[in-house]
Formats: sequence, structure tokens, C-alpha cells
Amino acid sequence: MINLMTQPSVTAARLLFQQCVAASSQEGSSLEFIRNEISGYLIEKVEPVKLHQNVWKKTLDSISSSKKVRKEMILDPFYNNLPLVLQEFLSNKKVKWKNFSDVKIAKLTPSSETDKLELIHVMPGGSIPQHTHEGIENFLVLHGSYSDEYGTYTEGSLQTRDEDHDHKPIGHPLTGCIGLAYTDGKIKFSGKFSKILNFFTN
Amino acid sequence: MDNTSIFQMKTKVKNPFINAMKQIADHQDKSSFKMIFDYFGPRLKSFLMSSGAEESVAEEVVQETMCVVWTKADYYDPKMASPSTWIYTIARNKKIDILRKSRKAVLENIDTAILPPIIPRLEEDIEHDQKFEVINRYLDELPKEQLALLKMNFIEEKSHGEIAEITKIPLGTIKSRIRLAMEKIRERIEKDKEKPNLNNNVRSIN
Repeated sequence: MINLMTQPSVTAARLLFQQCVAASSQEGSSLEFIRNEISGYLIEKVEPVKLHQNVWKKTLDSISSSKKVRKEMILDPFYNNLPLVLQEFLSNKKVKWKNFSDVKIAKLTPSSETDKLELIHVMPGGSIPQHTHEGIENFLVLHGSYSDEYGTYTEGSLQTRDEDHDHKPIGHPLTGCIGLAYTDGKIKFSGKFSKILNFFTN
Repeated sequence: MDNTSIFQMKTKVKNPFINAMKQIADHQDKSSFKMIFDYFGPRLKSFLMSSGAEESVAEEVVQETMCVVWTKADYYDPKMASPSTWIYTIARNKKIDILRKSRKAVLENIDTAILPPIIPRLEEDIEHDQKFEVINRYLDELPKEQLALLKMNFIEEKSHGEIAEITKIPLGTIKSRIRLAMEKIRERIEKDKEKPNLNNNVRSIN
């Protein structure tokens, strides 16, 4: 986890993923707190670079035209299972779900990026077809649990998978599983129907 | 006010910016806002440019960040983050949005440090002021070379591999030094928590 949390947050997908990890586990939260405070400390030590005079004026202009707003949170039991930072993120946009028989997948960040973030909802007892990964996939369990060839994973746990892992995850029979996947490469289906699945998902 | 006096105030008494944030939140106080702008604006510009932003972009981000500081000051909670950390996280999110290829904001309204976590950050029985002090003290004592690694990682946002290339230090060493700094801080916060708290009466945020 520490490797993930010390990677620079240069893309929206990675930052959001790091924040969800922080919101879902004690270790993640403590690492994020320390990391942010180190950054805050260092910000005060950097050599200041003078701003152009007009920046203050522009700032004053923009605050006089902006209103204080408190946003409404979505009232939906599904969303209430997610970390606040993700709820906040989702409240700004329409999420398009791709529906498969046992699983729903929503792409959260634009495909123009080099990495991607997906919300994955495995129905109770449902399974994701056998697959392996190209590149590295980090999977965070947000709600419920799932099992695969390597073990059972519950809320707040983080798994890192790469091309050496070939697995078929199955959602918990009662709760199913909601999770967040952060990938730097593509996932590759390896079982039956894999050609067609690879075509549809990539 | 020069740098040293601000740092002394920060560790000895309380952070003057905590009070400034409160003045903005409660009274829309422009002079407190100007104080924060004058101190953090040029530092944020420096941070943004060192992580690859052009000058005009950096100033745009500074302006947008300060606008959030003004409009969301009442979300700031001194128990969750020091003012510099809160302001930094807002600027970082803005920067990610602005530098994205498609230019369509993704993180627009997410100001991380504003959001309460679902589970409490670290244990609740430890004084937050103490935590900040533990981190500051640790970093103050850290050798310059170590601090430089943290700066490249978190402020200039270079990957471990890029840092290894620049410094000619092996990748494994970079990783273990950064890991060690984070773990030492965590250890010290934990240790500090075990000590009976003698500072309850001097804690003054409000």
C-alpha cells in the first residue's frame, strides 16, 4: 500500500483511487494524512515566485461573483456505500454503466487518459469471467466481499494483480461486491468467450 | 514578516493561518484573505511551476485555488489538516484538471481535505496539534538530502524512477528512504499518543 500511496498524483484516476484507499482503511488514511502534511510542510519551504499584480485583482473579481454553495448528496443506497470523495465525484456527472449478466462496470475517467478507474459491481453470487491483466491492476473493495483462486477479500482490502494472475472472482452470495479498479494497462480475458469479451471491453 | 518568524510562530504558539481561515469563514474578512494570498500565492506558483506548469497556467491555478479558499473557508477544519496542507490539496486537484489533455474538468468540485473521512483519520484520542508538531519536528531534523527526495516525490511529483535517474541513487534506495520517512513519522505519532497529554490546557484553536 505504501508504494501506491507514495506515487505522485499526476492523473485524476490515480488521485481518486489513492483517496478512496485512504477513506477505506486505517493504514491508507494514516499514510495519506502523513503524505499531505509532508507536502504542506514543504510548500511553506519552497522559494516563493512573485505573482503578477493582476492575479490578486482577478481573484477579488472572481470571489465577488461566486456564491457559497453546499452540494446535495445523492440519496441512493448504492452510493451510500461509497467513500464520500467518490460520492462527491459521482454527483457531478452521469455515470454510464455497462451491464453484463453478473456484473456492472462504469468507467469513471475519460478514455483519453493513459490509466483508468472503473467502478465494478458484482451481483450477489455473480462472477467475472476468468481473466488475466496487462499491466498492473489495483483493486479496492468498497462494499461486500469477493473470492477468487487466491483468497477472500473484504471491505477496505487492496489487491494488486498483474499478468501473472489468472483468476475468476466471485461476489459474496448475499452482499455481492462493489469495488474500484485502477489500471495502468488493459485486462485480458482468458477463458471461454474471451475473444468476444476482449472485443467489448477494450 | 519573514519566513523564520512565521515558522517560529507555527511551532511555538499556534499557526496564524488557522485564525485567518476562521476570520474568512466567520466574517468574510478580506484582510485575512489577503494575508493568506500574499503568503501562499507565490509559494503555490512555485510548486505548480516546479511540477511542470507554465507560468500563465500556474497563476490561473493560484487564482482558482484562492477562490476556493474564500468560498469554502467554513469547510476548513484545523483538526484535519494544517492550513498549508489544505490549500495545497486544493491547488493539486485544480492542477490535475487544468493540465489534463482533454481540458474537461474531472475533479472540478472535489476539494479533498474538505471532505470528512468515512473512518476517523488515525486514532481520535490523539491531539491533532501534537500530530502536526510531531511531523514538523521530524522534518526539521531530517538531513537535507532526504528532504530533497520527499520534495521531488510530493511537490515536484516525480515518480520513484525519475528521482533515481536525476539523483543517480538506485531505485531501491529511493523507495526505501521514502518508505522509511513515512514509517518513522507514523511510529512517532503512535509513540506520542502513548504519552499522557500535558498540553490540553494550551490547545487553542477557537
